[in-house]
Amino acid sequence: MIWVETLINGALLGGLYALLGIGLALVFGVMRVVNIAHGEFMVLSAFCAVLLSNLFPQVSPLLMLIPVIALSFAVGWLYQAVIVNRVVTSPDPLSPLLLTFGVSVILRNVMVEMFGADVRSVQVGELSRASLEIAGLNIGIMPLLTLVLAALLFMALQLVLRRTEFGRIVRATADRRDIVRLSGVKPDRVYNYVMGLSLALGAIGGVLLAVRSSFTPFSGAERLLIAFEVVVLGGLGSFWGALLGGIALGMAQLIGLKIDPNAGLLYAHLLFFIMLLIRPSGLVSSRV
Amino acid sequence: MPTRTFLLASTIVLVAVIAGAPFVLNEGFLRLATECLLLLTMAQMWNLLAGYAGLVSLGHQVFIAFGAYALFLTSGWLEVTPIWVLPVAPLVAGAVAAIIAFPLFRLRDAYFSIAMWVFAEIIGAFTMKSQEVGGTSGMPLATSKLIDFDWFEPTMFWLAGGLTLVTIAALYKMMTSSFGLGLMSVRDNDLAAMSVGVDVRHNRFIAFVLSAAGCGLAGALSFMGNLFIAPLAAFDVNWSVYMMFIVIIGGIGTLEGPILGVIIFFGLRELMTGPLGLSGGWYLVGLGIIAVVVMIVAPRGIWPALRDRLGVRLLDVHRAAPRPATAAIPPGASERVTG
Repeated sequence: MIWVETLINGALLGGLYALLGIGLALVFGVMRVVNIAHGEFMVLSAFCAVLLSNLFPQVSPLLMLIPVIALSFAVGWLYQAVIVNRVVTSPDPLSPLLLTFGVSVILRNVMVEMFGADVRSVQVGELSRASLEIAGLNIGIMPLLTLVLAALLFMALQLVLRRTEFGRIVRATADRRDIVRLSGVKPDRVYNYVMGLSLALGAIGGVLLAVRSSFTPFSGAERLLIAFEVVVLGGLGSFWGALLGGIALGMAQLIGLKIDPNAGLLYAHLLFFIMLLIRPSGLVSSRV
Repeated sequence: MPTRTFLLASTIVLVAVIAGAPFVLNEGFLRLATECLLLLTMAQMWNLLAGYAGLVSLGHQVFIAFGAYALFLTSGWLEVTPIWVLPVAPLVAGAVAAIIAFPLFRLRDAYFSIAMWVFAEIIGAFTMKSQEVGGTSGMPLATSKLIDFDWFEPTMFWLAGGLTLVTIAALYKMMTSSFGLGLMSVRDNDLAAMSVGVDVRHNRFIAFVLSAAGCGLAGALSFMGNLFIAPLAAFDVNWSVYMMFIVIIGGIGTLEGPILGVIIFFGLRELMTGPLGLSGGWYLVGLGIIAVVVMIVAPRGIWPALRDRLGVRLLDVHRAAPRPATAAIPPGASERVTG
C-alpha cells in the first residue's frame, strides 16, 4: 500500500516536473535553443513570489502567481530581445548554449549576493498540509492541484498552438524562419513572445516547486537538469511526452527516496541516463 | 623559418622563467601562479574539446574529480609520495572518458553538454554516499607526511609549469598535424569532412579522451596542492564555468586565447576581490558579464579579434585556404589551383 502511495505521489510530482520541462521544450521546439538559464529564471520567479508575499502577507501566495507570471513574461521578452536574439541565427549551434550558460552564471550569483544563500520556501499555510483520503491512500491536495493545473496548461498550450493565429505563426516560424518573412512575420518578434511564454510557464513551475520543497539561489542547476531530462525523456517537442517523462522522473525520485532517504535527485538522474542508453529518441517520438 | 626559431627561443625563455621563479617569488605569489597555470591547462583541455572538436562539455569537473580522487586513493594504498602516482590521474580520467563516450556520443550539441553535466551529478552523488572515499566530508591526503614541505610549493609550481608548457607544445604539434586538420574539419563541417574520408567519431573520441586525461592530471595536481579533497569542491560545476569563461573570453579554437583568458580571469579576480573588496559572487557576475558581452560583440573571443587587427601571429595553427581561381590570381596559376 505504501508503494502504491509512493507511485501516486511520484506521478503527482511528475506533473510539476512536466511543467518545468514544457517551457524549455517550447523554446527548443521553436528556435532550436536550449536555454540553460531556464532553471535560474525559475528560481528568480520563486524569489519574486517570496518577496511579494512578504510585502503583502494578507494575500495568499498562490495569488502572487499572477503578478509573477506577468513579470516573468516581460523578463523573458526582454531577455530574448536584448540577448538571445543576437545569437539565435548564429551558424555555430554552440553559441546560444554558451551564451545562455553565461547568463545563468550571472543570474545565480546575483541572486546569491542579493538574497543570500539561505534555504527558503513559499509558504501557503494549511493548503500545503491538506490531504484527501481515497481508498486508504493519503494524497496531498496541493500536488493534486498541481497535476490538474499542469494538464490544463498543456491543453491550453496545445490549443493555442494548434488553433489560433499566434499558434500558426509560431509553428510556421519554427519550421522555416526565412520563409515566414515573406508573409510579413518578423521571426525575432515571434521569438520574443515565445521566450516570454516559456519563462511564464517556468514561473508557474518554479513557484509551485518552491511551495513543495525549499530552494536556494543554487537550485537553478537541478531545476534545469530536471527540465532537460523531462524534455529528452518525453521525446523532443512532444507535450504529452513531456508529461509522461515528468511522471517517470517523479516516480523514480520518490521510489529512490523511499529506498535511500538522502538520495536527492540521484535516481531521477540515473533513470534518465539509463533511458539514454536504451532509447535515445525518448519515450514518445513525435513532433509538435 | 623565423617563427620556428622564435618559438624555440620563447620556449627556452619560458622554461628558464619557470625554473627560476620559485627562487624569486614569495609563497603567496607562487601559489597563485600555480593555480593560474593549472587552470590554464584545464582551459586548454576544454578548448581542445569545444574549440577544435566542437563538443561543449558542462560536466568536465567529473574528470578533475576522477583524477584527484584516483591520486588520493592510489597514493594512500601504495603509501608512496603522491608525486610518483601522478600518472594514475590522467589514466583513470581518460579511461572513464573512453567508457562514457559510447552512450554520450549518440547525442549532439546541447544534449551532449547537458548529459555530461548529468553524468557529473550522478558520479558526485555516488561519491558523497561512499564512505570509502570519505563521503560528504571528503578526505585528507593520507601520504602528506611523506612530502618534503620545504620544496612542496616550488615542486607544485614546477609540475604545473611543466604541464602547461608540455600541454601547449603538444596541442600546437597536434593541431599542425593531419590529425589536427581532421579535427578542425569536423568542427567546421562534419558532412564535408566525412565526404573526404575523415573519421569523425574517431577524431572526436581521441579529443574527448585526451581532454579528460589532461583535466584529470591538472585536477589531481590542484587537489594535491590543497592536501585535501571533498566532493563539493571536486564536483563543483564552477570548474566548467571557469574553463568555459577563460576560453570564451580569450578566444575559442585558438591556443593563445586561453592564455589571454587566464590573464583576464585572474587579473579581474585579484582586482575585484582585492582592492575593490567585492565578494566572490560579484566577481563571477563581472566575469559572466564580460563573457556575455564578448560572445555578442566578438563571438570568436578577444584574441582572434586582436590578432586580425594587429596582424600578430603567435601560436597560429590556421591554414590558408586554397585560393579560388579568380581574377586576382594571374592567368596560368589558375590551372594549378583547379587542376
